This record gives sequence, C-alpha cells and structure tokens, in this order.
Amino acid sequence: MRVSRDGVIGLILAALSLGLLVQSFSLPQLPLTPVGPGFYPRIVLGLLALAGVALFLQNVIANRADTAAVDEVPAETGFWRVPLLFGIVAAYIFLLPVLGYRLATILFVMLVMPAIEWPRSVQAWAAVISISIATSLVSHLVFERYLLVLLPRGSLTGW
Amino acid sequence: MLELLGSALLNIMQWKYLLPLFLGTLMGVIGGAIPGVTITLTIIILLPFTFGLDPLQGLAAMTGVYVGGSAGGLITASLLGIPGTPSAIATTFDGFPMARAGEPGRAVWLGIWASCFGGLIGGLFLVLVTGPLAAIALQFGPWEYFSLFILALAMVAGLAEGSLTKGLISAGIGLVIAMFGNDPVGGIPRFTFGSDFLGGGFPFLPVLIGIFAFSQIMTDVENLGRSKTARESAQVRGSLRVSQLKVIGEIISRPFLLLWSTIVGIAIGVLPAVGGSAANMLAYDQAKKLSRHPERFGKGTPEGIIASESANNANVGGSLVTIMAFGIPGDAVTAVMLGAMTIHGIQSGPLFVSQNADLAYGIYAAYILAHPLMVLIMAVAAAIMLRISQVKLSILAPIVLVLCVVGAYAVNNTMNGVYVLLIFGVLGYGLVRTGFPLAPLILGLILGEQIELNLIRAIMTDDNPWLFITRPISGGLLLVAVISVALSIWQHMRHTRRTASVEPDF
Repeated sequence: MRVSRDGVIGLILAALSLGLLVQSFSLPQLPLTPVGPGFYPRIVLGLLALAGVALFLQNVIANRADTAAVDEVPAETGFWRVPLLFGIVAAYIFLLPVLGYRLATILFVMLVMPAIEWPRSVQAWAAVISISIATSLVSHLVFERYLLVLLPRGSLTGW
Repeated sequence: MLELLGSALLNIMQWKYLLPLFLGTLMGVIGGAIPGVTITLTIIILLPFTFGLDPLQGLAAMTGVYVGGSAGGLITASLLGIPGTPSAIATTFDGFPMARAGEPGRAVWLGIWASCFGGLIGGLFLVLVTGPLAAIALQFGPWEYFSLFILALAMVAGLAEGSLTKGLISAGIGLVIAMFGNDPVGGIPRFTFGSDFLGGGFPFLPVLIGIFAFSQIMTDVENLGRSKTARESAQVRGSLRVSQLKVIGEIISRPFLLLWSTIVGIAIGVLPAVGGSAANMLAYDQAKKLSRHPERFGKGTPEGIIASESANNANVGGSLVTIMAFGIPGDAVTAVMLGAMTIHGIQSGPLFVSQNADLAYGIYAAYILAHPLMVLIMAVAAAIMLRISQVKLSILAPIVLVLCVVGAYAVNNTMNGVYVLLIFGVLGYGLVRTGFPLAPLILGLILGEQIELNLIRAIMTDDNPWLFITRPISGGLLLVAVISVALSIWQHMRHTRRTASVEPDF
C-alpha cells in the first residue's frame, strides 16, 4: 500500500476532525433547547472525518491502479521565496504593535522587495527605499486622514 | 408604477441627488477595487457623511457605493487575480486567465458591461415583481433556509476541478472554521480551548483576505521564475482598449446566460444572509453546468465573467428589495443601510413602499442610474487600474500585502484580525498548493452560522427530521442539491473517460 500526499492529507484531516469531534462531547447541554452546542459540529465533523478517509482511500486505490505514478515533482521554482516571504510577513505583523504602522511598513516593504527580486543597481536600491517610504506614508495619509481608519501605534515609538 | 419610476428618475437627476450618487459610486468603485477594502468598509466610512444629508441623498450615496463596489471588485479580480470584494471571487476564475492571456481589456469590459446589464435588468425585474418575490420568501421557514444553504454548498463544491471529494472537504473546512467561538444559539464558547484569541471566533474578512490574497501572491512569488512570461503577457501585450460594441455583442449574444445569472443574483439577494459572494459563485456554477463547453471554464471563457458579474450586481437589487419590503438586511452592507434609515426615522418593512413611495422609488431610481455612472467612472479609471497590473510583482506584492494587513486590522481595530490573516494566509496557500479549491471553503464559512441556526430553529419548532424532505420547497431544494452533486460526479467521470481516451502527446 503506497500513500502519497493526498492520502496523508486525508488521514491528517480525519484525525483533526475526530479530535474536535471528541472535544464537542464535552460541551454543555442547554436546558431549554433539545440540542446543545455540540450537535451541529458533531454532524459536520463526522462527515468531514469520513471525507478525509474517502480521500485517503481514493489515493490508495489510485496509486494501486497506477503503480508507476509518483508524486508530482515540481520543476525548479522559487518555492524558497515563499517561506521567506511568510517569515517577513510574520515579523511585520509582530513588529506592528511595537514599532507602529509607519516604521514597520517601511521596513516590511524594504525587505519584501529585494526578497522577491534582488536589486542589481544603485537606481534599483533607490527605488526600493523610495517605494518603501512612499507606501508607508501615502497609505498612512489615506487611511488615517481621509478614510478615518486608525492604524496600529508602536509601543516603542509612540506613533 | 412606471410613472412613479419615471418621475423618480427625473428627481434623482437633480444635482443635489446626482452628486452624492456619483461620489458614492466613485467611492464604491475605488473601495471595491482595492483588495482588503470591502463594500462594507466603504459604506461604513461613508455612513457619518450621510447623517447631514436628507434621507434620499444619503441612501442614494449608499446605493452608489453598493453598485460601484459590486462592480469595482472585478478590476483587481481580472487584472491581479485577487477579488477586490467577495462578490468578485468567481470573476477571478476566468477574468484573470483572460487578462493573463493578453486580453485584459476584454476581461475588464466584459465584467463592466455584464455588471451594468445584470444590474439594470435586475432593477427593472425587481420593480415589477417585488410583491411575488416577497410572497415566496415569506413562505420560507428554517427548513427551507437550511435546505437552500445545503444546496448552495453542494453546488459550489461541484465547482472543484478534478475532485469532488476535495471540493466537499473544502466546504467542510469552511463550516468548521465558522464553528469556532460562541455558538449562535446559546452563546456557549466552542472549541476555544480557554483562549481569548479564539473566544470571538475567526472574523470573516481577515479569513477571506488571508486565504485569497496570500494564496494568490505566494503562488505568484513561487512561480516568478517559471511563469514570468505568462504573468507579463497580460501586462505587456494587454491594453484596456477594446471595441465596446464587440464586447456588448459578446454579452447580448448570450441572452439566456445573462438572464439566468441575473435571476440567480436576484434570488440570492432576496434571501437574507446570502450576499453577492454566494450569488457570483452560484451563477458561475450554473453557467458552467449549463454550458456546452464546461471544460473552458477557469481558462478565460467570457461566460464565466458574464455570469459572475451580472449576478453580483443583480444581487444588489435583490438585497435592496428585501430590506425595503421586509426590513431584513440581506447582508452586512444592507445592514448598515438599515441602520442609516433608522437614524433618519424611516421604518423599513412591508409598509415602506406604500408609505414612503417617493423614497422607495428614489432608491430604485438611484440604483438604476448608478449603473451608467459606474460605466462612466470605469471608462475613465480603468486605464489607471491597468497600471496596477503593469507594476512589477516585487512592487505590487508588498503594497497589496500592506493593504491586506490594513484591511484585516480595520475590521475591529485590533491585531487579532491581523494574526487571523497570517494563519489563514498560510492555510490558503497550503490548500491551493495541495489542489483544494478555495471557493467552497469561503461559502462554507459564510453560510456556516446560518446553516446551524436554521437547523436548530427547525428542530426547536418540530423535532421531526422528515420535515426537511416532506415540506415541498425544502424537499425540492434538497433534491436539487443531490442532483447537483450527481451531475458533478457524472461530469467528472465523463471528463476522466475523455481524458483517458486521448492518447498522451509526448
């Protein structure tokens, strides 16, 4: 029995659904209603667990039918950029309440632009710096001044 | 009736009404086009400005935002692949591939004219049949609503390319996400694990922005080296200049598609809690199922754009009728409008049209006139919007991500929304990379609470579960849901057989 990506996902999904299903039995029963807050989740989670098992079985059957089949091996891509970008976004989000919107946004854009496409000239670096500053200041002006959307203040900077 | 509508149209063309309507439509187009700034947020921003206006001026501006926003989402949906609003989700499926294939002008203008025609037909249709539609909706009990939502989920799960199981799982994940937080009946904390962060559940907008925007941007970033030419083809070769007559001809030559999508949009709009996001996806699903070439969907077919955009603007008309006839907000946008009406001392409900005929027909007139205004605004602004798609990914991605963060933060002005954005950004990217469709997940998320509420209401009213099947409308809807799933399985099997019968080309 050979299990590939979809099969593993199916099993994980079934396990998570069953975990929440068990959790739903610990929810209290309301006195005035015939069904409690766990009633509907149990139906959905039960069906989702079954769907996870179905995905696993479909994968096993498909692999058995096509023994030569292997998981798709992607061509060389820029996948390495994705975790890097998620890392920068995570850092930005956690720095927002510390540095404040304006400073954190300048740093964020300044990091994301070279992470996607490395600047190869002085002009390109100048563009990175100017776009970073412009993005932060223009968006701050538009949202705070004109759209009246309050943006995060920095606990360290006070603005 | 038509006399009243005619005089209301003349009345609304006065500058004192036309200006707020124009500004509202402009704001709506801009708000709808910016990912992370939704129609709801735009209309909330507009709300304080309407307090100083007379009721019709304020409601005209809000109607303009609603119409403009419903159409504005198509710009980013087509040119960036990121729906500016949830009501433009299905537009991305074909609008973006068409733009990438070098026809951004055709993609955008098909959407604009389809929005205009769908909205206008929807407006006219609703003025004429408000009474009968209201009578039908009034017959709906919790059984019918529950069955309707199940039908919607079944239909959208059928959109999944390749695997119905993955489509159903995706819908199920959406339903599970909606379960976190307090249960909608008794307010009991559910799956919170003692955490304050999970206490309020996952806010809808950050989840939506995270799933769609992050999955799109990260996929683009990942494919940067590989699909650079594909991405740039829409930018370099594309122009928004198209023959308007040709585009209009493309839409007019598909009258059944336009009319059916409009009817789907109206029907979904009339029903409470099912907004434009469901309307455009259901219309898209219908168009795909009824098409002679369903395999072309998702690859840049005009049918997909026409169905999605005509439905989401027609949906606005449906929502307006619901609020005017029943006093029930169809979605978050009309909920804000209902609040504004209350502030002005206007009681919406069954007597609204008869007691406030000038105002009611004024809203209809504003709704109808907002569509040509929207086309005018798009004609001027669409060229500017093309510049957005011509910007390099290294410039575009950080700006869009910043807007997403701002949009998620602005929902409650707390960082919780931003954390949710990141969590669901990772989930959305993971799902796309493993071949799970996102549309069923979003619909599950939207409908989750309403499905549960109506299920519990039905059981509390009568614990006989057979009522879901024996009540004619409810049973009929469930039957259509089963047929829809069966049709999807049949289509999938037919597609597999056809693929298998074709010799591989090495």
